[in-house]
Amino acid sequence: MSGGQALDLFFSIGFPIVLLVFAYLIGSLIERRHFANIRKRESALRGFPLTTFERLPERWRVSNAGLVSGSIVVSLDYFKRVIAGLRAIVGGRVKTYEPLLERARREALLRMAENARRAGYDAVVNVRLETSRLANAAGNGNGTAGVEMLAFGTAVKLDRR
Amino acid sequence: MKYVPREPRDGINVSKTHPLAEAGTLAAGLSLIFVLVVLVLVLMVELALLLVSPEAEARVFQDWQPGDLVAVDADDQRLARVDALTQRLARHWPESPYRFRVAIDDSELPNAMAFPGGLIIVTTGLLDRVESENELAFVLGHEIGHFRNRDHLRMLGRGVLLSLSLAVLGQGSGSGLGLTIADFTLRGFSRQQEADADEFGLALVYAEYGHVGEASRFFERVADEYGGDHGFYEYAATHPSPEDRIDEIRALGRQRGWTDSGPLAPLEW
Repeated sequence: MSGGQALDLFFSIGFPIVLLVFAYLIGSLIERRHFANIRKRESALRGFPLTTFERLPERWRVSNAGLVSGSIVVSLDYFKRVIAGLRAIVGGRVKTYEPLLERARREALLRMAENARRAGYDAVVNVRLETSRLANAAGNGNGTAGVEMLAFGTAVKLDRR
Repeated sequence: MKYVPREPRDGINVSKTHPLAEAGTLAAGLSLIFVLVVLVLVLMVELALLLVSPEAEARVFQDWQPGDLVAVDADDQRLARVDALTQRLARHWPESPYRFRVAIDDSELPNAMAFPGGLIIVTTGLLDRVESENELAFVLGHEIGHFRNRDHLRMLGRGVLLSLSLAVLGQGSGSGLGLTIADFTLRGFSRQQEADADEFGLALVYAEYGHVGEASRFFERVADEYGGDHGFYEYAATHPSPEDRIDEIRALGRQRGWTDSGPLAPLEW
């Protein structure tokens, strides 16, 4: 096999494989660390109520209220994208995307709760989650640059709970 | 109601399957399905060959040409000469259902290809390298041999498979059905198909000139030019390596008792 052919083969087959392995290793490392970080911060926020109530419980006496939000933009790594591409042929649960979106949800809620606590509030009610897809300009708007997960709600300061 | 602090439950929204297990299952399963589908389609191509007569094929494709053909000017004298030579060779195959047509692709790489409906495409790179009519006649005769064995349709069928599978994997454009010159170079015929086409081509050359001298000269020339490195050399990608071929063509000539000495017809352009 000539040098040119070897180079050609590397770029058509070798390079994607190297990229796949690299993406998997880095991606799973980042994911593990992110989950550890999320768990730690969730522990710290224990006792800070986040509820989806639209109305306050009768006994809560509110002295102040305001809108709080937290958002995160997540993107796929190459490994997840390839596996999801294979999955898209036969259908079924896209298992590689699940942890990604779980991280996004919990991170967005955490950021919202941390904002609220920092501003001196005691709880957040009427919490909502929204997702929007960011179009990828390079791919004629067809590809996805990432997904924004937005958590927002009404933060309340309580006199008495 | 009393608020009882609780930590969120971990992992309820995340499948337990390890991502690598997921990757392995998908890759193995899909490969298996892919292989089965290809096998079935290959069988269907063979079946279609039995059902579609050469006459029907010639009728359907009579005016067709590949979309990416970079044709030379219609009044290029080489076109008329190569066409005339093809018709002369085809006379020695009187039962041919095809009305052969010739097109010249403006490409540096020497190659010759057989397309459906009796279309033979040669590149300018090939025409620049051949020095006698006898050399060119064997190259054309070889392509005519592919028509006799209907290899070009088999290849077409495989081309469709290739395009389809690439389209499924999201790699290819999915637009072509393997009917372009670019697609052609991705494939090739089997060694046996090439040997059969060589045999038929050589018989045509012998019938035309009464000898098979210089028939393999073109391959000696490209073997010299490219040495042992056929990496990016297109004719070798779709044809056997020139060295092996020269030996086989000579052996075949000797075996049939076809003399390899005789007057050469010059090429005039």
